[in-house]
Amino acid sequence: MMRKAGCLTVTQELLKRRHFIRVGSLSLLGISLPRYLNYRSLQAAGGKDTRGQGKAQACILVWLEGGPSHVDTWDPKPNSSFKPIPTNVAGIQVSELLPRVAGQMDKLALLRSVHTEENNHGQGTYYALTGHRPTAAMQFPSLGTIVTRELGARNNVPANVLVPDTWKTLSYGQYTKGAFLDPAYDPMVVPDPSKEDFQISDLALPKSLTVERLRDRRSMLKLVDRMYRSKIERAEHQAMDRFTQQALQMILTPETRQAFDLGRESDKTRDAYGRGSFGQSLLLARRLVEAGARFVTAAGHELNGWDTHSDNDSRHKDKMVPGLDRALPTLLEDLKQRGLLDSTVVIVMGEFGRSPHHNSKAGRDHWPHCWSLAIGGGGIRGGQVVGASDERGAYVADRMISMGDLYATIYKALGIDWTKEYMSPIGRPVKIANALDDETGQPIKELI
Amino acid sequence: MVPRLPNHSIAKILAIFLIFLGWDSRLAHGQEDAVSPALLSLRIVPEDIHLSGLNPSQQVLLLGRYSDGLERDLTGSSLLLLDSAEVAAIEEKGRLTALAEGNATLHAQMANQSATASLTVQSPTAPPPFSFQHDIGGILTKRGCNDSSCHAGVKGRGGFKLSLNALDPREDYRWIVKGGTYQVMSMESAGPETPRVDLSQPENSLLLRKPTLLLPHGGGERLTAESSDYHTLLGWIQAGAPYERKEPEVVVERLTLFPEERVLDARGIHQVLVTAHLADGRTRDLTHRASYQSGNEEVVTVTDSGRVQARSPGETTIIVRTAGHTVSARFGVVSEPLQANPSPPPHNFIDDYVFGKLSRFQIPPSPLSGDAEFLRRVCLDLTGTLPPPGRVREFIASRDPQKRRKLIDALLDSPEYVDYWTFRFGQLFRVAAGAVGGAEHAYTYWRWVWENIAQNKSYREIALERLAAQGYGGASRHFLSYGEEAKAADIMPEEVRVFLGRRLDCAQCHDHPYEQWSQDQFWGLASFFGQISRTEWTGFGAAVLFDDPAGRQPDFGESAETVKVIHPRRKQLVKPAFLDGQAIASGGNGHPRREFARWVTAHPYFAETLVNRMWGYLFGRGLVDPVDDFRSTNPPTHPGLLKALAEDCRRHGYDLKQILRRITRSRTYQLASTPRESNREDTLNYSHFIPKPLEAEVLLDAISQVTGVPETFENGQGGQAPPGTRAIQLEVPDIYPSDFLQMYGRPNLLQIPEVEASPSLGQALHMLVGTTYTEKISKKGGRLDRLIQRNASHREVIEELYLAALSRLPSPREVAELESVLSTSSDKKRAWEDLIWSLITSREFAFNH
Repeated sequence: MMRKAGCLTVTQELLKRRHFIRVGSLSLLGISLPRYLNYRSLQAAGGKDTRGQGKAQACILVWLEGGPSHVDTWDPKPNSSFKPIPTNVAGIQVSELLPRVAGQMDKLALLRSVHTEENNHGQGTYYALTGHRPTAAMQFPSLGTIVTRELGARNNVPANVLVPDTWKTLSYGQYTKGAFLDPAYDPMVVPDPSKEDFQISDLALPKSLTVERLRDRRSMLKLVDRMYRSKIERAEHQAMDRFTQQALQMILTPETRQAFDLGRESDKTRDAYGRGSFGQSLLLARRLVEAGARFVTAAGHELNGWDTHSDNDSRHKDKMVPGLDRALPTLLEDLKQRGLLDSTVVIVMGEFGRSPHHNSKAGRDHWPHCWSLAIGGGGIRGGQVVGASDERGAYVADRMISMGDLYATIYKALGIDWTKEYMSPIGRPVKIANALDDETGQPIKELI
Repeated sequence: MVPRLPNHSIAKILAIFLIFLGWDSRLAHGQEDAVSPALLSLRIVPEDIHLSGLNPSQQVLLLGRYSDGLERDLTGSSLLLLDSAEVAAIEEKGRLTALAEGNATLHAQMANQSATASLTVQSPTAPPPFSFQHDIGGILTKRGCNDSSCHAGVKGRGGFKLSLNALDPREDYRWIVKGGTYQVMSMESAGPETPRVDLSQPENSLLLRKPTLLLPHGGGERLTAESSDYHTLLGWIQAGAPYERKEPEVVVERLTLFPEERVLDARGIHQVLVTAHLADGRTRDLTHRASYQSGNEEVVTVTDSGRVQARSPGETTIIVRTAGHTVSARFGVVSEPLQANPSPPPHNFIDDYVFGKLSRFQIPPSPLSGDAEFLRRVCLDLTGTLPPPGRVREFIASRDPQKRRKLIDALLDSPEYVDYWTFRFGQLFRVAAGAVGGAEHAYTYWRWVWENIAQNKSYREIALERLAAQGYGGASRHFLSYGEEAKAADIMPEEVRVFLGRRLDCAQCHDHPYEQWSQDQFWGLASFFGQISRTEWTGFGAAVLFDDPAGRQPDFGESAETVKVIHPRRKQLVKPAFLDGQAIASGGNGHPRREFARWVTAHPYFAETLVNRMWGYLFGRGLVDPVDDFRSTNPPTHPGLLKALAEDCRRHGYDLKQILRRITRSRTYQLASTPRESNREDTLNYSHFIPKPLEAEVLLDAISQVTGVPETFENGQGGQAPPGTRAIQLEVPDIYPSDFLQMYGRPNLLQIPEVEASPSLGQALHMLVGTTYTEKISKKGGRLDRLIQRNASHREVIEELYLAALSRLPSPREVAELESVLSTSSDKKRAWEDLIWSLITSREFAFNH
């Protein structure tokens, strides 16, 4: 009657995993506009002040959760069912599934020899978002929190945002956090902006409250709290007073709220990005960056969207790539027209690539050994390919690129000293650009 | 025997008196009118001095006790006299060196007080037994070569790796004598094996040329060719660089420091004595062979020879490393010694320790808390619940002298106690759907915690059950991680952290950089968890967990290699072994986790960790803090108290309620939170109760309680917790998303929780316009609504709301001021809403004080 769990089929295993994922992830669903606006970072970052030296001011991570197949997108190969097509840059080809992206190739650089070291979603996501393999001994800060810490917030707008919250349903929201850094740098997680009822709570006065009433309340609070505060003074009290001042400012001035208000975009623009969760997440990312955000992670795919263990080709062709091919060129063009492209780094990647061969279900499995990603904007030279995979896209043929090198490139674009190390509370130095074998990542010189 | 003073000593005595005069004026801090404290007695430490070939020199201290309660180090003032110049020589700073066999007496005299110590010198010329760890490792420690920031770093430095403080002398010997380049994840050398000693031309050894900068050295100059350490190293290489000589190795079992705790005045200077206790019972003075480090250089600094110098008022530790050991002493600096500092009457032994230290550190405690203050504090701490207004009135009015004790007992027997401590241990034990992989598993696990708390089961039993759990019930769910068997290397450090208060995680990948945890110890312990296996009852999905004697079998997607406990550096299968390296008798083929459980619960660390954790819950800070980070470089603030509490806990059978009763009954716990001018700065010594922010769940429950509007917890899938369920009663908390809890620091239970409750902008926004603070206050059926229905007066409303929120009556001034504000408002309901809002957003409400 007993049976080892090892006999479970892939499907059963996935179902089981989804079940716990669904149950376990709900703890992360709470959204709030907490510490995400941080005002301390400018002083707190310490070290060499290189801010302003970079062209870029912000970063959008277009997160392709699940891991897209590189041979069917950025790195077309004979073992793909799709044909390569030319792009607007002579000599660079991409998959025929990306005709619109092909027309914007001059804005993007392709890295075709990315190598990472984790083969499962959880660990792979952790590795891609932090540059470190997960260990039980400690947590590492994510790229987004490091950028936020180093650059600081602007204009009463949350500095670090993760959209939409459905992405968290894979329990990976944790990996976007700052670990031992001040929680102020953690991303604010916002709901799916494609939904009708999309809104951010706690940013506006409810109907029952007026500005005068808020003032009355605050003066009564002063009265009530006077006795206690005359006896006991703590740093926390003063911190709370400061936050209250800032909060009032935000509630009473409209800019913050407007940054989240997609209703201020024309229907034409909203359509151009695609009305789904992915397109609208990218549009929101652009609005937030325009308003002053530093790092926006825009995901917005269905659970395991790019994770095509079965029917890889049809799922790429019909479901996944068209959305990307619609929203990404729109984003690049939109940034360009608004004069934001030069100051915004755009990274397009998932946690790994997919196997060069098809499996028995016509799917492709996880492949961290060699994969591709696209990066552009923020002073990064587009219209070029760096690194090369072998003839099947299986292994690195030329110039292995690590997450540490990618991070160092992004930092350089943003004017952040990529050789920095943070000291963890247990006294372990942590490289902010951690390359393979604990080396410090180096900016990719062709890019910047 | 009357001491015969040699002639030249007479002149010395004269000089001493001059020095003494100068020193005394310094004591008075240059204030003409200040009264110098009077010298009450003198003593010499150690009292019995033994010098020999093994211990050829000894640092001695001359200490004077003064009328202001401080004992001061007078050694530097050359008051020490030896009655025989043949037997030994004494340096000005109090270091004795053996010259010839014999006995002598050391004298000191000052302001009508005197002290003596006896000196015995035996075979002083016998060469000391050689030990690589001691003699060569000692130099490497003293010179900082094997510091964690240099060659004892995780990866070594420049390819040359030493163990921290010469903890692993065999390995150190290999890298020095054989050479090679260290690799973290392999035993193999990464480079060519060039020895760091040159036996044919000893002076050319890298070991000598690098630290003297004859060759470039990243660590700078560490030695000069003139130093005695250089000659010791050179002599050792000339002798063929042996690991040991004929004598057996001298093993240092432990180090002791004198003093272990000391209070200095603003200009105080104090020498530290370091004594090594050898396995054969002999001792050796290592004062001048140790490295010293101050925990806080703003409080005290320390020289290379162990002289501690006061800098500014405060308290810190001096960390001493030598001979593979690390120990620490506590130093306090007081600004102005008080002449009298009477301790208040103790309630129990806890107060003896706490007030004893307060008195030594010259910090006066605050007075006892008022009844209302105590009531709110102890209700929140024992039950996570505010007392209802009626209870507050009753308690304040009661004249029963035993009322505090009776209250504590009543709270410990209340159902809220069970809810609250189930919640707290549920967090510690990580009862969460996300952690174990499913709400059903989490519920089973929660139920087990709840039953244990409800029965007040011995914590030792709880630990035994959890650690050895098999099957599909309660505690076994803990060994599920995301629905799979927990990995040995993840679960072991969690158990050690929860039950033994030590953090071993670093040692998974490398020897711990500051502590004496080696990678071998880590994997030896981890191996106890290497056989956890899982089966499923077909169709039920109930994972059954057991230890498979044949070892765990690979699961879907796993290779045989990944399920075995393999040492990452040695690449060998690891057998279960305890911290001391002792393998278990059965070789791990029986039920290794049961043996692990017995070992853990019998370990002295077990009770210490428990009482420290409970102390931390009540005071917001452990005696060792963080509560699960015991290490030699993070010593307890009150070591004696920790031991006494642990002993008390063992004697009472690890009874959780008894620990709480003991602590809450103490005067220490019952002190007022309002500081005195003279103890305001104290954060470590419990001179007053330090307010703690309410935990997210307790705060939310308190708001619900004050407003009289319960919270609805929805699971996001259409379901909700039964109406009236409080946040601390949620069985599987993480299936109920809550903006509020998230914002106020609900811990993430995917790891051992560390509650993070600092103020934030999100909290400020939520307080101003968020639903918890705006919608609850006026809801129908709530407290305010009932008051409106009752047509209560302003005064009644003020009193009731103060009692409900702050557990106290408003002061007459508060009543008068609020009444006048409320009565100017045209809208009574609206004014009362504003009052209740003010109360639940006040700091007085948000803190337990």
